[in-house]
Amino acid sequence: MRNSKTKFTLLSILSFLLVFSSMALSAQEIDLLLKGGQVIDPKNKINAKMDVAIADGKIVKVAANIPANSAKKTVDVSGLYVTPGIIDMHAHVFQGNDLGSYIADGQTAVPADAFTFRAGVTTVVDAGSSGWRNFRLFKEQNIDRSQTRILALLNITGNGMYGRFEEQDKTDFNPEMTSYMITKLFPKIIVGIKAAHYWGDFTQVDRAVEAGKLAKVPVMVDFGEHQPTNSIKSLFLEHLRPGDIFTHTFAYGPKDRETVVDDEGIVKPFIFEAQKKGILFDVGHGGGAFFWRQAVPAIKQGFKPDVISTDLHSDSMNGGMKDMANVMSKFLNIGLTLEEVIEKSTASPARVINRPDLGNLSVGSEADVAVFSVKKGNFGFTDVRRNVLKGTQKMDAELTIRAGKIVWDLNGVSGPIWDSPQAITR
Amino acid sequence: MRTYFKPLKSLSLLLLIVFLVTNVRAQEIDLLLKGGHVIDAKNKINGKMDVAVKDGKVYRVAADIPASSAKKTVNVSGLYVTPGLLDIHGHVFHGTETNYLSNSLDALPPDGFTFRAGVTTVVDAGGAGWKNIDLFRKNIVEHSKTRVLSFMNIVGGGMRGVEGYEQDETDMDAKLTGTMALKNKDIVVGIKLAHYIGHDWEPTDKAVEAGRIASIPVMVDFGKALPPLPLEDLLLKHLRPGDILTHAYRYDQEYDKNGKMLEHKQAIVDVKTKKVKPFVWEARKKGLIFDVGHGGGSFNWSQAVPAMEQGFQPDVLSSDLHTGSMNAGFKDMANLASKFLVLGMPLADVIAASTWNPAKVIQRTELGNLSVGSDADIAVFRLREGDFGYIDASGMALRGKQKLEAELTLRSGRVVWDLNALSAPLAK
Repeated sequence: MRNSKTKFTLLSILSFLLVFSSMALSAQEIDLLLKGGQVIDPKNKINAKMDVAIADGKIVKVAANIPANSAKKTVDVSGLYVTPGIIDMHAHVFQGNDLGSYIADGQTAVPADAFTFRAGVTTVVDAGSSGWRNFRLFKEQNIDRSQTRILALLNITGNGMYGRFEEQDKTDFNPEMTSYMITKLFPKIIVGIKAAHYWGDFTQVDRAVEAGKLAKVPVMVDFGEHQPTNSIKSLFLEHLRPGDIFTHTFAYGPKDRETVVDDEGIVKPFIFEAQKKGILFDVGHGGGAFFWRQAVPAIKQGFKPDVISTDLHSDSMNGGMKDMANVMSKFLNIGLTLEEVIEKSTASPARVINRPDLGNLSVGSEADVAVFSVKKGNFGFTDVRRNVLKGTQKMDAELTIRAGKIVWDLNGVSGPIWDSPQAITR
Repeated sequence: MRTYFKPLKSLSLLLLIVFLVTNVRAQEIDLLLKGGHVIDAKNKINGKMDVAVKDGKVYRVAADIPASSAKKTVNVSGLYVTPGLLDIHGHVFHGTETNYLSNSLDALPPDGFTFRAGVTTVVDAGGAGWKNIDLFRKNIVEHSKTRVLSFMNIVGGGMRGVEGYEQDETDMDAKLTGTMALKNKDIVVGIKLAHYIGHDWEPTDKAVEAGRIASIPVMVDFGKALPPLPLEDLLLKHLRPGDILTHAYRYDQEYDKNGKMLEHKQAIVDVKTKKVKPFVWEARKKGLIFDVGHGGGSFNWSQAVPAMEQGFQPDVLSSDLHTGSMNAGFKDMANLASKFLVLGMPLADVIAASTWNPAKVIQRTELGNLSVGSDADIAVFRLREGDFGYIDASGMALRGKQKLEAELTLRSGRVVWDLNALSAPLAK
């Protein structure tokens, strides 16, 4: 009797505590609530009006009508699109001051944070700026000091993108050291291998694939400085593996780079075959690798890129590329749906680099979130030769959140009005 | 007969010359900005005009310059055409050192922030001192498309850190600083004093002395002194007419030695009465220059709104661009200009305070205007109407109906930014 009574009391105390604590938790547990937006989270197949709740830097709930009183701070995002933080899978952010170098520790690379958040990007993948010899410098100098999450594709060339001439050195293509750098030292940061700028045969690609096999990571290939051109059909069907990535998909420079769309404006049949085989097609816009004459017919004929990315560096930042939101807007204006554009900038790149933890708003994942407005009006978009395509839609990054922290707020939607009672006066 | 023939001959020669000249005329303009509203404070233009560019220079500014006289014409009707903006307070001495804003990662490469906001000239505000001005020239000035100038720090080693380096009075040498400023006068336009926490005027006076030696102004980032030094004394006793107080609308916390919070003695608007302090008006009358220097922590609505309501407009709009301000309330110069628009500053004044005023302040009167013959550094802005919001350094918002966007930027006649492809041909 006594025993059961004690049990009962204990139980009731326990259940009271449980109920109370869960109530208390729900009353305060949300740090930031994004309310009233249209959530597009392709990985979780969400495209609906929902609220997104963040606590302790993580996503804690995505649902319709999460009450504002359960949150410490609520931001009204009605009329806006809430998406996972954008992943830009092709950027160059190994910024440094080696004046002799092109991109590795050079001035052509740019500081990531300056271009990411204002375009909704929370993760960039540096595409081969560093190789195994200088990755550690890149990590200490740039990766560890950025708010943006920086991942990397390691160049098969040991010195990375030091310069076109140095990048021809076959003796510096070392699959073993490249793979060790990944598997032994930085498996969480280095997500793949890059092969680029090579003038010769398939040697560079084959070494990169060898390194990719050793480290079990994908290879991204910039394949276009051969004179005469090398066959991309052979590249796709004989050299690359499913899951490997072809970048600069819509480049046009027929003398040294075989194009995806032929001179009659038709997508070459083996391109579809390659995509079916699992070769992944990345945009990598850059300063010289995106042409309307390639992209427009390709999309019309149903050939869509797997991943939208910038190839950000100082020669693309002020040209046709500008930033990730601008590149995404381009695809919106040539026939992709907004959901497709978001998918190819979030869930898809996350899958490609084997980082399923990124590019989605699943509960428990790090709260990297972007909020976009889609402006309607008359806009112009240039390709890398300054040819124009007129468009009617343009994406603006309104709010960017990195690990739960607001890192960009274009129109001050998250701040209290300065002379309102809520204003913080210090 | 002969007598008639001769004049006829000369007449045909004349006709030939006229024909040749007009023919040359027909092709002589490289780029014509047509139909825009030109705001050029120096030349007192605020109206619809065309701007012609040739050989990288402004060639002509007039109504109705025929498109047939230009190789390329860009229709800018509905837009504002101004001199390229001149930002006199940036931090662009980027490098890989771990120190503060001198050859460091906290400073930014200018080209990524200038052109997209209509800026064509940026003055680095004290990143370099006389000891590293050569490095600044080599790494930044010579490697940027943006025109880069410098306020050289009175601290020889530059802006390496508030703690330590920037307090070292033995590294503040007026004579060496002044001499090196003269030696580098193509890029050094002023002296900077910042972040000094001592309760004495010696560094200020050294900076002014260096300015005297080189005949250039001094810019002061004031307000770190412990205990605070009076702003009134700085403006009325130590600085000269033409010297610059930056962070004009800052509302900083001030503490005494024991960490007790003090009144905001160094703010220009009295925190209690909300009035611009009388000595501030007096200083303006004396010729002191008030610069915005927005930055990450130096622009507050609680100062700017009352000041603007009382007619205390800034002389110069500037960024204080660095990694701590780029993604916060500042963002870029176009965003900053928009803030002053929504505070009620007329557009023509906003443009003047970002072009011709700063050009005069740094004594580079060849800049910040569209006079014929000057370098064709030009910005074209769209004034958007809508619902916008702007945040200050403490994260507080102010709603506004207007926003300036840089549509087109020219640097020495070259298109370096084109937001909506105004200058480009339609894709085939």
